[in-house]
Amino acid sequence: MKQKRIISVALAGAMLLPTLATLTACGGEEVITLRVYNWEEYIDEGGEGTFIFDELHELDEEGKPVKDEQGNHIHIESNIVDDDYKAWYREAMGEDLFEEFEEGPRVLDDFCAWYERKYGQKIRVEYSTFGTNEDMYNEIVLGNEYDLLCPSDYMIMKLAAEGRLEKYDESFFDESLEENYYVRNVSPFIAEKFATNAGLEIRKDPDGEDIYWRDYAAGYMWGTTGFVYNPAALAAAGIPEEALQELGWDVFTDGRFKGKITAKDNVRDTYFAALGVAYQDELMELDRSADDYIPRLTAIFNATDNDTIGEVEPTLMAIKDNIYSFETDTGKSDMVNGKIWLNYAWSGDAVYALDLAESGKSEDGEDEATAYLNYFVPEAGSNLFFDGWVMPKGANKQAAEAFVNFMSMPQNAMRNSYYIGYTSVIAGEIPEEDDADPAMLTYADYLYGEEEDEGEFYDLSYFFGAEDGTYGIFADEEQCTKRQLFAQFPTPEVIARSAVMDYYDEEASVRINELWSRVKAESLELWTIVVIVVAVAAIVGGVLLLKFGNKIDFFRSKPKKGYKKVKEERA
Amino acid sequence: MKIPRFSRKTLCIPYAVFLLFFVIVPMCVILFYAFTDRQMHFSFSNFLRFFSDPTKLSTIVYSIVIALITTVVCLLIAYPVALILARSKLKKKFVILMLFVLPMWINFVLRVNAIREFFNLLSQAEALAWLESANIFKTIVGMVYDFLPFMVLPLYTTMLKIDDSLYEASADLGGNVFTTFFRITLPLSMPGIMSGVTMVFLPSMTNYVVSDMLGNAKVTIIGKFIYEYFGSDWHMGSMVALVLLIVVFASTLLSGGFKSEENVRGTNI
Repeated sequence: MKQKRIISVALAGAMLLPTLATLTACGGEEVITLRVYNWEEYIDEGGEGTFIFDELHELDEEGKPVKDEQGNHIHIESNIVDDDYKAWYREAMGEDLFEEFEEGPRVLDDFCAWYERKYGQKIRVEYSTFGTNEDMYNEIVLGNEYDLLCPSDYMIMKLAAEGRLEKYDESFFDESLEENYYVRNVSPFIAEKFATNAGLEIRKDPDGEDIYWRDYAAGYMWGTTGFVYNPAALAAAGIPEEALQELGWDVFTDGRFKGKITAKDNVRDTYFAALGVAYQDELMELDRSADDYIPRLTAIFNATDNDTIGEVEPTLMAIKDNIYSFETDTGKSDMVNGKIWLNYAWSGDAVYALDLAESGKSEDGEDEATAYLNYFVPEAGSNLFFDGWVMPKGANKQAAEAFVNFMSMPQNAMRNSYYIGYTSVIAGEIPEEDDADPAMLTYADYLYGEEEDEGEFYDLSYFFGAEDGTYGIFADEEQCTKRQLFAQFPTPEVIARSAVMDYYDEEASVRINELWSRVKAESLELWTIVVIVVAVAAIVGGVLLLKFGNKIDFFRSKPKKGYKKVKEERA
Repeated sequence: MKIPRFSRKTLCIPYAVFLLFFVIVPMCVILFYAFTDRQMHFSFSNFLRFFSDPTKLSTIVYSIVIALITTVVCLLIAYPVALILARSKLKKKFVILMLFVLPMWINFVLRVNAIREFFNLLSQAEALAWLESANIFKTIVGMVYDFLPFMVLPLYTTMLKIDDSLYEASADLGGNVFTTFFRITLPLSMPGIMSGVTMVFLPSMTNYVVSDMLGNAKVTIIGKFIYEYFGSDWHMGSMVALVLLIVVFASTLLSGGFKSEENVRGTNI
């Protein structure tokens, strides 16, 4: 008996060992934990394919590192990850991490090192990911605790309206402090959107105060939605590229694209698109120079009243009928392998698909015969989205704000943006004199720039909060109008006709969900249901018949009279 | 100190704990959510909404139909195979059996993806271009592919147990192939059919990964419905889950899953 107890104690001890191991790893010192909850694949994860690695190694056409005869990577010099960049890294993260610098360090490891050097406090990042805003919201409602989340615009608003968020500290916005990298580097364009909610109706938090994103969120990435398309496939079908721009949202219902276009498998994006289809004419007729243009545009794209739903429902049905699939992430590969011609996509995903097609490879690295892909945003208006860092109630504000500031250093913003394909909200410090460029302009130039005499001037002044013509890069004409540059850094015209999503209040949410289930489900006619129910009943009857086969047996002759009696007597 | 006596019952404790936390408690939570509204007040509104909404009813019916077709196709494929395997004198028949079971050892999502790519490949041929939009067909093929082993195995094991002397007796008494099948093979393999049907029918009502990936998310079965409701409205989602639970319970009851003693042994004749 005693032995048994010893064994069980030993077993229990063995189970506890891992916990002890984590404790000892702290070396006795106090380690704070920062719990970050971010989108999947939404941060630089280190290694091959990262900004630093790719810049410092010779790559082949597919973007894979070239190896020399001894099997070693070939190191090269870079114009952007230059001595200044290296010096910054060495200074910020310390010698230990700098030794592995060329292999592409993980940005999260860097943060821990930087934080310890700067604040003299060990920190550990507990990093987890979610797939949709709604999944994240459920986790929060269930009471899971985090210090930092990265929801999209409408979800930030919803969380704030429900009083689930901490405000950023006033000191976070003090530009005179050196460690406030976010306010010092954020694009004035984004800052303005965050201060005004980009034309959305102003909501109230539970204390009755107006909610502005600026108070609750620091931007991370942003972009537009539009269509990735395959010009070669369209040309083969006799549809010129220009026709797309004329059709705008109507590509969703145009019979020529039947089975060749995809929509998103979530109600938010597809409902938005359906509004675009249903109200395209109205959207085109809006006076774009009017002061209330953006609010009116935003109102149309966020309408959830019964009349609107009634009008959008047939549109959604028509979309469902016309599209190839509702997808969440198969659209990119289907575009690349040529199965579909058009894919409704977020700009970051579009950049990814365009890059992939260009490399001539599918997602799993197989050779694919693919044409170049392009990107366009409907003329009638589209969606402008932001993902921002917010702190749920009870978060460790100091560490969370430090994390945001660290990610907002232009050098880190480049790394994240390069890795995930989305556009960072960071612009870099705007220099006093005009001859120097803000960091992210240098980055855009490095990605897409051409010699002055070879390209067109692509004006990005709006992003840097300067007058037109101040900041821009010279780029290939196609890059300026329909390729990666256009997707990643939209033109001011695209921005000017883009609406931000609002969140649905409870009643609207119920209505929209019912609508979505009607769209997704197969609506059977009453008579079909009756026929099927009868058929099922028949099967049930059949099964019952078989079960009570002793009583009703088609294959056995009936027992002779008296058999039953004899059996009973025996029993 | 009194040491608690160790008995055979003690071995049940882990399972009882498991049962409590992973079956009973979640069930109660579902029940709670299904009959409350957003303010957490008791309410029948989800119940009424469910049964007054043609969309949800037709989705349930639709799922049942898809599951039924899947089950029937599985049965039609698996029955002859199991029969031949069980009756054959082949020395290496386990190899053939293995071929049916082997796919189960490979990750499910991987397999569905593979089948998706396979269809993509096929649909590139002009004669098979219709496959592109044959969402229901592809979904059912995917389900059948996925659940076939669950049908083959129980059928095979019950058929193995059928005594050869019964067939000899049937032949002796002048029974032809037809009679032998309907009076010996079929009734004696009934338990296998029942457990196979249950194991295929129930999951194919809810397995929305297959319908999403092969049906291009245009085929919506009840499992997907539940998933989508849990994105925004847990109460309605719970109600749908509850209704599904009842359908499942009823069909299990029907196929005799709860009093399987005599069935499993295959001795009910």
